[in-house]
Order: sequence, then C-alpha cells, then structure tokens
Amino acid sequence: MATRYDAIVIGGGHNGLTSAAYMARAGKKVLVLERRHVLGGAAVTEEIFPGFKFSVLSYVVSLLRPEIIRDLDLPRHGLDILPLDGTFTPMPNGDYLWRMDDHARSIREIARHSKTDAEAYEEFGKAMQALCRFVKPIMGMLPPDPARPGLKDVLNLLFLGRRFRELPYDDRYNQVQLMTMSAADFLDQWFETPALKGTMSASGIIGTFQGVRSPGTAYVLLHHYMGEIDGAFRAWGFSRGGTGGISNAIAKAALSFGAEIRTEVPVARITVRDGKAKGVVLENGDEIHADIVSSSLDPRHTFLRFIEPGHLPDEFIEDVKRYKFRGSSGKVNLALDSLPDFKCLPGAGRHLRGAMSISPSVEYMERAYDEAKYGAFSSRPYVDIVIPSLTDPSLAPPGKHVMSCFVQYAPYKLKEGPQAWDQKREEFGDTVINTISEYAPNLKNIILHRQVVTPLDMERTYGLSEGNIFQGELSLEQLFFLRPVAGWARFRTPVRNLYMCGSATHPGGGIMGAPGRLAALEILKDFERGVA
Amino acid sequence: MARHDAVVIGAGPNSLAAAFYLARGGRRVLVLERRDRVGGVAVTEEFHPGFKVSSVLHACGPLRPEIAADMRLDRHGLVMLAAGTRIFAPSPDGRALVLDGDPSRSAESIARFSKKDAERWPVYQQTLERLAAPLGDLLKMTPPDIDRPGLGDLLALFRTGRQVRNLGRTDLYRLLRWGPMAVADLVAEWFDTELLRAALAGRGIFGAPAGPWSAGTAAVLLLRAAADPHAAGSVTFPRGGMGALAEAMAGAARAAGAAIRTGCEVTRIESRAGAVESVVLAGGERVETTCVVSGLDPKRTLLHLVGPLHLDPDFRKKLGNYRMRGVTAKVHLALSRLPAFTALKGIASSAGASSPLAGRIQIGHEIDSLERAYDASKYGETSQEPWLEALIPTVLDPSLAPEGKHVMSVHLQYAPYHLKEGEWDDARRRALGDTVVKTLAMHAPDLPGLVEGGQVISPKDLEVTYGLTEGHLFHGEEALDQVFTMRPLLGWARYRTPISGLYLCGAGTHPGGMVTGANGRNAAREVLSARR
Repeated sequence: MATRYDAIVIGGGHNGLTSAAYMARAGKKVLVLERRHVLGGAAVTEEIFPGFKFSVLSYVVSLLRPEIIRDLDLPRHGLDILPLDGTFTPMPNGDYLWRMDDHARSIREIARHSKTDAEAYEEFGKAMQALCRFVKPIMGMLPPDPARPGLKDVLNLLFLGRRFRELPYDDRYNQVQLMTMSAADFLDQWFETPALKGTMSASGIIGTFQGVRSPGTAYVLLHHYMGEIDGAFRAWGFSRGGTGGISNAIAKAALSFGAEIRTEVPVARITVRDGKAKGVVLENGDEIHADIVSSSLDPRHTFLRFIEPGHLPDEFIEDVKRYKFRGSSGKVNLALDSLPDFKCLPGAGRHLRGAMSISPSVEYMERAYDEAKYGAFSSRPYVDIVIPSLTDPSLAPPGKHVMSCFVQYAPYKLKEGPQAWDQKREEFGDTVINTISEYAPNLKNIILHRQVVTPLDMERTYGLSEGNIFQGELSLEQLFFLRPVAGWARFRTPVRNLYMCGSATHPGGGIMGAPGRLAALEILKDFERGVA
Repeated sequence: MARHDAVVIGAGPNSLAAAFYLARGGRRVLVLERRDRVGGVAVTEEFHPGFKVSSVLHACGPLRPEIAADMRLDRHGLVMLAAGTRIFAPSPDGRALVLDGDPSRSAESIARFSKKDAERWPVYQQTLERLAAPLGDLLKMTPPDIDRPGLGDLLALFRTGRQVRNLGRTDLYRLLRWGPMAVADLVAEWFDTELLRAALAGRGIFGAPAGPWSAGTAAVLLLRAAADPHAAGSVTFPRGGMGALAEAMAGAARAAGAAIRTGCEVTRIESRAGAVESVVLAGGERVETTCVVSGLDPKRTLLHLVGPLHLDPDFRKKLGNYRMRGVTAKVHLALSRLPAFTALKGIASSAGASSPLAGRIQIGHEIDSLERAYDASKYGETSQEPWLEALIPTVLDPSLAPEGKHVMSVHLQYAPYHLKEGEWDDARRRALGDTVVKTLAMHAPDLPGLVEGGQVISPKDLEVTYGLTEGHLFHGEEALDQVFTMRPLLGWARYRTPISGLYLCGAGTHPGGMVTGANGRNAAREVLSARR
C-alpha cells in the first residue's frame, strides 16, 4: 500500500480515538491501528457469554470532558449516558448507608447514622465544589515545563497562583489539605460514620497501589465532585450499550471526519530515521508511512517495545523504566439469572440501580491494602458493584442481568510473581463472591457465568502494563508536569514527530478523553508551525 | 514584680535560642520552665543509679552552626562529640552494614552486599548534598506571607528559587519528584540491598505515624538532609548528654541578660482585646507582659493555655485538626558492658569514635519489616517486631555511666499514643521493654544478661512528663500540609498567632523538629521586627 498518512494513531482506545477524531476534524488524513478485534481499549463492551454484554474493564463514566462531547458531537454519533443512582453501602451490623442522587434524601439518610455527619455532608459538598472550580482549568491545561518555562507557562502559573491567592482562606486551606493528605485523615476531620468514611475514602484509592491512609489519596475525592454530565455537577452514569458505547461514538465521530480505523492490526515497531518518526511497521511486516505517529499506549510499550534501542537518550529510558504502574485491581463480571438480594434491604429496590460498595469502614479498606503490600490479594477486598442491565436492558437477555464488580486489592506483583495469577484466578473470583455473599447470600445461586479479570489479564489482553487501569499510578510524583516523565509532559517525546496521547499523559486515566484531545491540539500546533 | 518585655514559655532548645536572641536584641526576657530543670526534650536524667541518659532525643538535629556560634556555646561549657560511624545496621543473617562519615569506608561495607550499590553510594551522597543546599537556606527563613508577600520574602524566595534553578534540569526534576514520594520508592531507585534501603529510609519515618511506603516520607528525608546533608545523617551529641546542650544554651541566654525560672508552670495566657496581657502561673502568680513567646506545641499553647473565648472557633477547629499522633517510645538500658553483636563476629567492640557502635544502631533489616511495624500502629497496637534506632552514648562519653559500664538509649517505633484497647500502664511499659531486649538479643545474644536496670518512656509519658502533646516528638507531624507556610496552619506560619503579642517558637513551627534551634531564632527575629 502506498497510501501516506498525515498521522498514525497507535491504539483504538477512547483516547486514541479522541485524538484521531480531533486531527481528522482539522483536515488531517489519520489512520488508527488497533491490535484487537474490537475498539475501545479499556473502555470496551464485549459479549463474553452469549446474550450478556460486559463492560469488561471500565464500567462507569463521569469525567468525559464536556468540550469533547460538544466538539465531536458525540450524542449524534450514539453517545447516551444513563444515570447511575446513588451509592449503597451494606454494613456488617445489618444496617446500610444509602446515598441517593436526591440530595435532601441523602442528608436524611446520613442523619439516621449521625446528625453531625449530615450537617457536615452539606458543608463538605459546598467545599468540594468550590475546589472543583479551582482545579478544573488545570485538567484542560497544557502542563508547564518548570525547568525551562516559556512566557505562556509563566503566565499560566501566575494565573494559577493569583487564583489560589484569591480563593477564600477556607478554600485555600482545604485545597492544600486535599492535595497532600490521606483520604482517611481528611475525612476524619469531617465525619464520624465508619461506612460513610469507608465508602468516600474508596474513591481515593481506585486504581492506585495506595491505602486510604496513604498521603496524597484525598485529592481523588474531588473527582467525584468534578464529574459533569449535562452540566450537572457530581453525576455518574452508564453509557448505553456499555462503556464500549462511548468508544464507538467517538470512533463514529472520527470516521465522519474522514479518519480511517483498522482493527486486528498489531503494530510491531515505530520506524525512526534521523531522530524522526516516519511511520510504523506492522507485525505482518507491512510498513505504513506517516508524517507523525501518536501512541495512545503507555510509555513502556511505546518506548521500550516499539522503538529500537539507540533512538532514545539513556536518561529518558531510565525515567521510563522508573515510571510506576503497580496494578492493584481486578474485575469480576457476572451473568445473573435474577437480582441479588441484600439482607439489609431485601428486594429489587432502587438501591440496585446505583453503585453498591463493600467498604464498611476505613479500617476495612486499610486492612485490604495491608495484605496487598506484601504481595497477596485482599482476603476481604473492597468491591464496587453495579448492575447496568437494570438501567440498560439491552445488555442481557430478558429478565437476566449483568453485574460488574470492581475489586481492590489485586496486586499485579503477587509474592509468587505475576504469572501466579493464572493459578489464583478462580480462588480470587471465589473470594470476591464470598465477600459479596456475606451481604447478599443469594448471589451464589444466581450466577450463570463468571468472568474473572486479573491484573495479568489486563496486561496480556488489554495492553495495560502491570494491569494498571490508568496506564500508570496517579500519585503526585506522576501527575501534571511529571506525567509520564519530567520534562516530557507535553505529549512530545525525544523522537521528533512521535507523540503520546494516552492516559499516561496529563491529566491521566479515567474516561476523560482529555489526554487525547490535548495531544491532538499540540500535534495540530506543530503541523501549523511546520515542525511536524 | 518587674515588668518583662517578653515571657518565654518553656526552656527547651528553641525557647532558649529565642530567649538568647531576644535578650541580645535588648529585651528584658523571662523564661518560665515547668520542670525543675531546663531542656525540654534536650535533657539528661539518671534512670538507674549511676546511669544517665538523654531522656527524649539522644542526638542533635544538628544545631544550626550559626546559632552555636552566636551563642558561643563552647564558652558555656558545651563539648560536642561526633561519631565516625553513622549507622550500624545488623541483619538477621549475621551480616551488617556500617555506614561511615568517610564515603570510601561506607562503600567498602556496602560492596560486601552489592558492588553496584557501592558505586552508587558516593553519587547518592553528592546528589543529596546538591539538593539539600538550597533547602538549607529555607530553614533559616520565616515562611513568606502568601497574602501580602513583603519585599524581604520575595527576595529570599527569589534567592532560593534561583539556587533551585541553578541545580539544573535533572536535579530540579528530582527535587519535584522526590517531594511527594514514598521514601521506600526513593531508596529503591538508588539501591538494590534491602538492608541499605531500610537503613536510609529510617530518616523519612523517624517520629512519624507513617511507614516507608507512605507518600510524603521522601520529603521528610529531604527536610532532614537540608539540616544535615550526609546521606546517613550525622551523629552528634554533647558530652554529658542532651541536657548539657540545654545548660550551655541557658548559660548563654543568662549571659545575654535573660532570667530563667524553673519549677514555674504557666497555666494560662491572658489577653484583653486580642492582645497579650499576662501569664498566670500554677500557684496563681501573675506575670504581666505584652509579649509571650511559647516554646510549647501549638495545641498546648493555643487550645490549653489560651481561653476558648479568645480565639475564633474556626481557628480552634482547624488547630484541633493539626495532626500530632505520637508513635515513638523510649527504652533505656543500663548495661554492665558493651553487648557483643553477632555481626561484629561476637567480639565486644571497644569504645571510641571509630567504633562501629559509636553511631546509630538501626534494627529493621528490610523495607517491609519497617512497614509491618507501622501496620500495627494504624490499628492502635504496638509493633511486635518494632523498628529500633539505638545509641550507646557511653562509647563516646563514658561520663554517663559507672566505669566500664554502658548506657543504651533506644527509640522504638511503633508504639502509638492512641491505643485501641487499654492504656499505657506499667504492664504495657514492661512488655515494651521486654520486646526491645528480645529484639536486640536477636543480634547481640549476650545483651539480656548485661542488663542491670532500665526505664521505659511511653508516648503517654512523653506527654505527661515532657509536655509533648500526644507524645509527638516534633510538636506535630511533618506532613506535606503541615510544613513551611502551613506549619502549624496555613497563614499562621510566621510565628505569630491570632492574639497580638503571642508568638510560637517551638518545633510546631517552621522548620519542624530535631533540635536545630532554627525555630527559636526565626521566632525571635519576628518578635524583634514587630513594632513595640
């Protein structure tokens, strides 16, 4: 094939597709290459058992950038976000804590456990929203390079500094605490109910190899107030057709702008000549040329697998090797004959339409982490459960259901080594089922099929190194201008015309699309300047 | 009674430094100490007939050299002793690491574990020195006023900023990346030998309710290095124990004109219309003054000595949230001779500066064993296999024990102040002493037979006897949100308090703990610069 492209995007996950769509929209001739038979990467829907469609990995959406939805006109291409109603936490004492989307009802429910917590909850929400307004612009900002700041960086930093100084004292105080404290310590200042603190703290550790007592985990609490769907703060949702529905909508948008997307086309390496990326060589030996190559894969794949040695500075290679993945979570996806029945709230009530969280206390969460630190999966894990088929019946045969269980901790590095996951897969699955069954005993009897996804599976099947769902830990030293490598946080790489556009770049993982969009904007700038 | 320009509460090293500088600045200063002796945490006491020990901290931070020079402490009888050996870390396999002031001797010891680590050692040492240099200046400065930075603030920050930029890209990124990291990750980036990693990580967790895997502990290591850039830290203490330092400082303060009264407990700080008016002593005596400088911790000063009506409830709430969870206990052993460590081939080592037992003895052979020791404390339990940081001061200073005999001073972590069950009674103290002896015996089997007497100081004792709230050695955790412009609270880091004329000068202010004297000197400078 003699076709020449302006840009090749490696990987058809939601970021790769977003990046391709933006470039195609600007008139570039773009080719997306996906290794698997299905698009979406970690944002994917697959019919694992006949009639049952699983959002195999990522399962809820909240942070998808509104400007992307607008720019790519995603609703026209099939994006439909359905509401996820509240969070339900069963408690060991037979009671439950059920926070709903209806704020007043949530407050009444919390007051049932603690009057002071109910008051604090209101204050807390207001404080978090004030901070979101401060943090949000950072998410859409090109990270500065502190070692050689340009005029724009200096202005941006001054702007941020001034906005910080203009914040009311309490917001500043909260902001500093939130950026540095542990979720547990931070929440201790506000609340007393164990199930409330346990469940809220959980959002701080999702996808990281940290415990709720690890400093730096409070920050992610903000993300739960940052989600924006139809302009409403704090809304989480399902995508119709499963999470893959989001990727498919972005893919359709990209196609409509003229991008070309090929599946089952694994890339073997990126061709580099004279320090410049020239295209890619596929595993079947075909070579495709392009002016630029943008990889949505993580830096380990991009730089250590796809680039032949000698094209990158040693120091950069060292930094890439140092970049931390440390996957810590697994998934158990179930095909159910009927609905689970919680002892503390029997029946098929609305609580099943939201998230169900096994997170009875901070201590429970922290003990789950302790085991993982020494290379074992938690014997009593944190589990975040959703049953999307209640909201979107197209995912399962009539009357049947799909249930998605996100599990932490499942450390990639077991003390017997990561390969031991193949022997431990079923034992891990059993642990998760047993944990949920303590609260919903009928679960064991209604399971038709079970898919257990270990961190090793995430690496092998979905290309997530060490099974990290965010393409690398979201710890402070790997964020903003330090993601993925200090000095290379602006989507460019030491190889000219080679770019990064995945979750391993600012602002990180989750179904945001922000890295893909920001990368595309930078690439387009380089095209305009004639440097790409 | 004569009116005093300033009353200093407490006679610890920071208070004495503040008193000295205030007196030298022409103020009539009165120092009031609750105990019958000066020193606070720098105190020497007899714990067994004929055996004396530094009861709380057993080495200096070290004291800032400019303070020692200003106070001419040598003329007031201070003789500082310095050990050649910095860390002796025995391993359960019978080997040991000896880190020395001389890098080549350290490298020789490290080479027995790993040639590669031995080669890295001098590079690590130099890197730490380079990074510490600009930070060292920060210790001397008053944290800037964020709302209204003065010209002096800006100049000082600019100077530091320029120094930081002069570090060059690689070091600058190191500094940014290390700040929020876990110290375990930091040492693992440099070295392969677990024993070495654990020995170095100790600096990041000493005194802190944090394990080596806790994020932010690398920042503590940097903070320590700023005061003392040697990679393994220095080991300096006065002849006669830490109490001799306090005596010399008290001598210097008196010579400068300060009056010091011991056995005078301040029970109240009285203010009128938001300004200090007097302090009230335990016997009811009232000392009038318009300026009070408190060396006590921020909670004790502002929540206990100041009446609740004199402070804004929101300020009190925030200060209530200031974290100072003590996790360190002290165990003192009177030994009939030096113990014979297996790793030193069973030969009882001789005394003297070059003895491997002259420096810190660290028991904790791998990062995971330190982390496991921490795990217990998270749930309010004492570590069964604790991390020990011990010193045998009599190797360098025979005056502390009868001839030929020795004193062993042991910091144990983790012994949480907040216990889940029970309290710090005699039984628990005894158990802690037994744990220490048992742990040491694993490395020096003859030790139990050498013990002539002992003492256990629990975190509760640190509070009751030495006035350290919640038993925290450094008047508050040195977490990322409780350092520099945020110590003790954001906006209140310039030694002032909401009460006009009331200042803080203890370790609960910038730059934190470890007997550097810097807090006292900085506070005195602020008092002197304020208009009378």
